Amino acid sequence: MSVTKPLRRKTLAMRPFDWAFPSASVSHREVISSVPDEPTGRPPLLMVHGIAHAAWCFGEKWVPAAGEAGWPAYAVSLRGHGGSSGARHLRRTMMRDYVHDVLQTITELPEPPVLIGHSMGAAVAQMVAERYPLRGLVLLTPAPLHSGIADLLAIARDRPLDALGAVVGRTLSMTPDLLFEGLDPETARSYAERTGTESPLVQYELLLPRRTGPIRCPVLVIGAPSDRLVRPADVQRTAETYGVEPVWFPGMGHDVMLDRGNDAVLDTVLRFAADLPAWGRAAPR
Amino acid sequence: MTPSDPSPVDPPAQRPRRRVESATGAGAGATPSVPAPRRPRAPRKSNSPAPVRDEPVDRGGAWCVVGAGPHGLSALKALLQHGVDVDGFERAADVGGNWNFGAPTSRVYESTHLISSKPFTQFPDFPMPDSFPDYPSHRQIKEYFGRYADHFGLRGHLHPGHEVVRAVPVEEGRAWDVTVRDVATSTETTYRYAGLVVANGHNWSPKQPTYPGLETFGGEVMHSADYKGADVLRGRRVLVVGAGNTGCDVAVESAQNAVHTWHSTRRGYHYNPKFALGRPGDQVADQLLALRLPLALRRALFTATLKVTVGDLAKFGLKRPDHKFFETHPIVNQQLVYYVGHGDITPVDDIERVEADAVVFTDGRRAEVELIIFCTGYLVQFPFLQTEWLNWQDDHPQLFLQMFTPSFDNLVVSGLIQPDSGQWTLAHWQGVLIARVAEALRDRPAVARGLLSRAPQEAGRRFTAGAHYKDSTRHYFEVAHQDYLRAVEQAIRELEDSA
Repeated sequence: MSVTKPLRRKTLAMRPFDWAFPSASVSHREVISSVPDEPTGRPPLLMVHGIAHAAWCFGEKWVPAAGEAGWPAYAVSLRGHGGSSGARHLRRTMMRDYVHDVLQTITELPEPPVLIGHSMGAAVAQMVAERYPLRGLVLLTPAPLHSGIADLLAIARDRPLDALGAVVGRTLSMTPDLLFEGLDPETARSYAERTGTESPLVQYELLLPRRTGPIRCPVLVIGAPSDRLVRPADVQRTAETYGVEPVWFPGMGHDVMLDRGNDAVLDTVLRFAADLPAWGRAAPR
Repeated sequence: MTPSDPSPVDPPAQRPRRRVESATGAGAGATPSVPAPRRPRAPRKSNSPAPVRDEPVDRGGAWCVVGAGPHGLSALKALLQHGVDVDGFERAADVGGNWNFGAPTSRVYESTHLISSKPFTQFPDFPMPDSFPDYPSHRQIKEYFGRYADHFGLRGHLHPGHEVVRAVPVEEGRAWDVTVRDVATSTETTYRYAGLVVANGHNWSPKQPTYPGLETFGGEVMHSADYKGADVLRGRRVLVVGAGNTGCDVAVESAQNAVHTWHSTRRGYHYNPKFALGRPGDQVADQLLALRLPLALRRALFTATLKVTVGDLAKFGLKRPDHKFFETHPIVNQQLVYYVGHGDITPVDDIERVEADAVVFTDGRRAEVELIIFCTGYLVQFPFLQTEWLNWQDDHPQLFLQMFTPSFDNLVVSGLIQPDSGQWTLAHWQGVLIARVAEALRDRPAVARGLLSRAPQEAGRRFTAGAHYKDSTRHYFEVAHQDYLRAVEQAIRELEDSA
């Protein structure tokens, strides 16, 4: 267990860099959704994918299942991923552009959502939560904001060439064994083949430590002990930042929304979301 | 509000009250005389003077927000987000304040667009959609405020068609009695609140200048407050008075529509282009701020950029600015100089006197005009409050952080700022600070008082980032956005530190 003090930042109002160099607009943003016909009183769930993935990874299982269970469920493809435009500019895309994409998607929702981020998407989600009053925040095998160097070194031990490629700006290759534990090889390969490319700048940014500002909404952290992309120790440390204990799902790989047992993970997420206080009624820390 | 609207007049009464809690609470415990709240009667349609209720309806620990423009909305949202119950009152039928085009106190005109670009004009937690242009129109802005209100569920706490007519401190300043008039029925009701946020805007009460002979003028005289579109200009000889952003906008529109336009200004100004170097000009400016360049260097770079993009104004017949950059509220207008260069606008000096069919200027020139439009700005007014409660000195309130009064912890003014940037990023952070103070007053009063105890010393402190503003009566609430935002940020952090 880590004894390092969590990296927390104070409220940051001055952001002249964001004002001087705003994120470029995106002409099309892919959002996969499943919304109950009748209002159910549930807050929307918005899911954000990880490195080289896209909205499809939630569209496979979780979006339809959550919609079926009465939750307005949405998954967005960040710029340059999946069906969203911006692939041409992917090489100069930064994390803050992804934050912009998620905020733009949020403002189109009828009310503040529960934001569910996976891996890199969880890092983005924490940056969103610093700026926007979410209903709740769910981090699935989150890429560490306190620096992903240790994770890259762990990958380098098993596959030095892949890690070296990421260092020189190539997308970290998403092989089935990196993402899944419990799927049959055929399915695992078909999922892994759907992954695309990632912005090299974002991959570098994930290696740098970054502090998050005060986040006042409830947080749920989910980890997989046999995750080979994000080390469980880093998941533990992210959870400590928010003063919570991670919920572990043994026998699963990094992609907890696709791997065998993903329905149990979704159950945990929905139970967390169902217990959230109404927006604006959250008990202050 | 439609007269046929059958909804009850008294929306706050629809929600459960917290009277019992407040009567036993620590702060309000000393008010045993608060009577039981009454269910209001059905709306009356008669025009007879409305009865004034003597006994206020106690709203427990709730706060009151006056106005549903951007500052009212952001305060309402932040208070709700921090778990503080709140009622918002708005005279018009919808949200948007000044941007609610067509509402009685809206001062935007048909062609109004933002003069600061999106990134630091928008609420930081609710960015404007990618589909909006760099400088959205007033219609898009109103839509944006409406979506903000919907998204954060503000409408359930907001009572449009209700005008605040009076607010009085009670219980030795621990609470405020706010009297609200239903615009449709003239029914008045008084509520008791734990705090009051004043966000009634500063651009609605026209400032009317006087000149010798003005009353003898045979043509038409109007204030820009009543200017809604170019129709009044067509085919006429028009004098536009005032060099603010409205004055320049109207002068340009007049150049496009009138027979001829004269533009009277007291001094020369810097006219900032809306776009410079292929980008919105204010983003270029904030680039220099992001680099934390000192004022003198920023000023030099700015002046150089303007020299390249706009050129020497004197060559167009305009007066040379008599002040340095950042010493007046920025004027953002790319077209004025263009129309001056085309001879459609004749720049003239201040008015000396007005004759029956002409105006004589201090430089001796004379122009025969049919329409005079005074774009001479607005007066700051709080008609429902006694000015001394706002520490009124030298014709304006002296406030701590341009928000807090030295005499009351629970009276906050939001929106009495005119930044050299977009406004609503600042509105957002003012809202956050208000909510943190309200939250602290309720849960940790000592912490809140620690911050607010600085109000007497720091009331009236300016946030100029080193510049010396000209004509300080006009500029008393001008702020340099970076200076002001850092101060607000600091205050928010102070409350966080002691959490």
